[in-house]
Amino acid sequence: MRRSGWEVVLTSAWLGAVLLAGICAPWLAPLPPDLQEDVAGARYLPPLTRADALRLSSERVQVVTSLRATPAGWTGIRNGRREEFAASEVLGVPTRRFYLLGTDSLGRDLTSRLLFGIRHSLVVTASSALLAVVLGVAVGSVAGLAGRAWDAGLMRGVDVIRCVPRLLLVLVCASLFPPSTLLLVLVLGATTWTGLARILRGEMRVLSRSDLAAAARASGASPLRVALLHLLPQTAPLLAVNTALRLADIILLEAALSLLGIAAPPPAVSLGGVMASGSDALADAWWIAAWPGLLIAGMVFALRSAGARFLRLPDPPSVA
Amino acid sequence: MGAYLARRSMAAVPLLLGVLTLVFLLVEAAPGDPFRFEPASGVSGAAQRTLRRAFDADRPLVARYVDWMRGFLVGDLGVSFTYRRPVSDLIREAGANTIVLAGLATLLQFLLGTAVGLAAAGSRRRWVDRSLTGLSSLVYSLPSFWLGLALVWLFSVRLGWLPVSQMHSVDAAEHSPGWRLVDFLRHLVLPCLALTLPAAGGIALYVREEVRALLGRAFVQSARARGIGEKALVMRHSLRSALLPVVNLFGLALPGILGGSVVLEVLFAWPGMGRLAYQAVLAKDEPLVLGCAWVTSVLVVVGSMMADLMSSWVDPRAREEAM
Repeated sequence: MRRSGWEVVLTSAWLGAVLLAGICAPWLAPLPPDLQEDVAGARYLPPLTRADALRLSSERVQVVTSLRATPAGWTGIRNGRREEFAASEVLGVPTRRFYLLGTDSLGRDLTSRLLFGIRHSLVVTASSALLAVVLGVAVGSVAGLAGRAWDAGLMRGVDVIRCVPRLLLVLVCASLFPPSTLLLVLVLGATTWTGLARILRGEMRVLSRSDLAAAARASGASPLRVALLHLLPQTAPLLAVNTALRLADIILLEAALSLLGIAAPPPAVSLGGVMASGSDALADAWWIAAWPGLLIAGMVFALRSAGARFLRLPDPPSVA
Repeated sequence: MGAYLARRSMAAVPLLLGVLTLVFLLVEAAPGDPFRFEPASGVSGAAQRTLRRAFDADRPLVARYVDWMRGFLVGDLGVSFTYRRPVSDLIREAGANTIVLAGLATLLQFLLGTAVGLAAAGSRRRWVDRSLTGLSSLVYSLPSFWLGLALVWLFSVRLGWLPVSQMHSVDAAEHSPGWRLVDFLRHLVLPCLALTLPAAGGIALYVREEVRALLGRAFVQSARARGIGEKALVMRHSLRSALLPVVNLFGLALPGILGGSVVLEVLFAWPGMGRLAYQAVLAKDEPLVLGCAWVTSVLVVVGSMMADLMSSWVDPRAREEAM
């Protein structure tokens, strides 16, 4: 696929924006992501809703739309009904609320939840992909470089893991330990590295027969030094592409697992989790599932186009 | 060819043994005990022991392992703890449901994907190629269950044309066979679409890349120099070679046909293999989990074997390399 310049700029800008939004989530989010001010009043508010939060003397907060001042106090629409609030009941001035992307079933602001969801998903996918790449590179390199016995043993093991239904692996791993973000990372990373191991093994076998490796060996470098400093850098473009594609896969897998109930436990907000919670409320609030899905699709799209672009890079310059 | 097949099958045996052992150990390691009841449930300790014995769950690990392995050889997969029915029956029923859904979806994926890929690669108009490719990569990026949700929202919630989930309507038994068939097909549409579209997008991109790469090759260039039209170039000269990787993909997709898409089956409450395995793991129904894993592993192994066989049939060079 030949790409013109503006497509690259667009892809990078979009990925950069998502990254920035994730990093800056605590400062960008208009409200705390798990703030449930008023479950009955604020639930299922559609996108672009303007509302006001009234603090009552009973310390309860009521979220109402189309708030107006009346001689006796305030009047507004809460949960589909017009309600009156006496001036003596209300503490202070009403606070403006603007729900850009709407609210969920517990009246939480989706904009804030998505921002924190991006943050969480970035951390989870990046660390899982890192784990998968490290595992894949380690196993693949050892199998490709350390001789026939290692090769046979490790690659049969990889074949076995590839043949175990991935979801079974994930479900059993997830049921072994109490749910946590760390477990999610371990499960995602431990089930996605085998493809890379196979690719790396093939690449390393070819590289180990090259003049480059022979020259390094002849200059007295230890096998470990040859592998790490001379051969591994040669696989960098391959690794870059695979990491981008792996990230896209992990984002999709994480979302799918959320629907099956395998996710980081509640205080953490994940994009997949928000989407899964929206699947129950499809008839009431399409927006809960829509936004995280579009965001995930956008990230996957950008990562895959980035991968496809790197795939077209010319071969790395030969050292020999 | 026969010797090749025999050697591939021999290599598959230790692989299968390894997979089954790994799955067995994984299931054993998972916490929870299906035969432990809360004291309040009114099930006495003696009854629990009887149940455990009735399901052969009280024997030592190694004995059960050997037993299971022997069972797999003769096709006796044991009795499910939760359904109290032979696992092989459950798998047969769920497998049939999955074959209908995933088989149809897989067929459509490849037909649609190949067609779109060929159209994009063969088109001389740049905008046709670009819009088809763009659309394919867009659809390919969608999480399949998000697409499922979007389809449900549009066709079930908004328009009310199609049912939300399940395979049949609740009152299906009271109607004529013709009505039941239409009812079944109406239930099939949405999960099938959600399963088909993303993968079809991926296949389209793949086919397009392959055909484009081939169109630049010398043998196609020489055909072009002889004055052969662009359509004939794509259809007659590159299609066969371009189909090679597609055939490979198809073999790799085989386990998916029976393994089912767990997420979509759960979302659409489709009583297939994926959902069966998912529920079995949640209930720690060991025989059922192992049975499902057995079927899927066999399919993975057979699928990759079939991919090799088919590519050696389409392209004799692949046979030479594999020997």
